[in-house]
Amino acid sequence: MAAHATDETLPQGEIAKPNTAWIWKTFFILVGITAVEFVFVFLMEPSTLRNSIFIALTILKAFYIVAEFMHLKHETKGLIWTILIPVSLLVWLLVALITEGSYVGEVLENMFK
Amino acid sequence: MAQPTTLQPPAASATQDAPRTGNWDGGNEPFKASYGKLMMWFFLLSDAFTFAAFLTTYGLIRHKHEVFTGAAEKFVFSTRWWPVPDKVFNAFPGLHGMDVPLGFVALMTMILILSSVTMVLAVEAGHRMDKNDVQKWLLWTILFGTTFLLSQAWEWSHFIHGSEKGMLMADGSTFYGANLQVNEYGPVLFADLFFFITGFHGTHVFSGVCLLIWCFIATSNGTFHKRGHYEMIEKIGLYWHFVDLVWVFVFTFFYLV
Repeated sequence: MAAHATDETLPQGEIAKPNTAWIWKTFFILVGITAVEFVFVFLMEPSTLRNSIFIALTILKAFYIVAEFMHLKHETKGLIWTILIPVSLLVWLLVALITEGSYVGEVLENMFK
Repeated sequence: MAQPTTLQPPAASATQDAPRTGNWDGGNEPFKASYGKLMMWFFLLSDAFTFAAFLTTYGLIRHKHEVFTGAAEKFVFSTRWWPVPDKVFNAFPGLHGMDVPLGFVALMTMILILSSVTMVLAVEAGHRMDKNDVQKWLLWTILFGTTFLLSQAWEWSHFIHGSEKGMLMADGSTFYGANLQVNEYGPVLFADLFFFITGFHGTHVFSGVCLLIWCFIATSNGTFHKRGHYEMIEKIGLYWHFVDLVWVFVFTFFYLV
């Protein structure tokens, strides 16, 4: 067992060169999108259009985090769909309940008129 | 003439007995991902449903309330309408009394995105079996994660203690800050949703930091190196990126929209 006396966990032999260019590229894209969001916060009056822009930019950011950082883009098609199809149900949930909220608000406002 | 009575297998059996090797016939990985990674994905999917329920609730309740329609400079806090986020979250540590709309939350967002980057760098170093690099990037991720948590603690503390102006109540007293029953910013549910959504996210960040610290200790002990792969870092990494992902949505729906 003498062979185990040395620390095997120390780097042995050649360690490959880091390949990090794609990571920093994704980082700058994410920072760029966030900066654009702040431009819209301060230069545009609140409106449905502005909210739509925010949601579109958020989904773009989510795409880069999930596809690159979480590596989903490079997984098999089966795994990609297994994740994406259930998530698409959430979009329906959001749209349905926000519509419901507007309706509830309207009913409450007009209740005593 | 009578047929021979010996039992003979059908002629085709030789080919039927050959093992089937299709994608879903067993014995291989159709998704080309290990059990642990798949289970992490499915856990994150269920977690996404929980967070989506929170954010959908926020959307419903916000749309149920009135919208302030006047000019932005004339905005005042009132329980009648939903507050404008850049009027609520406009404080910055060390800049007392100054109006820095969304400044601090922008900084927190940057910190969390940076922590995500150092996390991928740790995963990348793990692929190269570079123990020293894994340790270095894990430490950076722990540092940024902890900084985010402390920032959130400051944000909560400021939200709870409130502005110097406070809100004049019906009985003539002034109420400062927020709790689960009253707040000076707007409808009761605004503060409730703030506490629940950012709190639930913060709990996730805290769990993530604990997992990362454990990962750092295991890396230092050489556990993963002896195992021959750093897949544990990848799994914790998936979780960490998910927490960052959730923040991207919380940031949009709570602070921007």
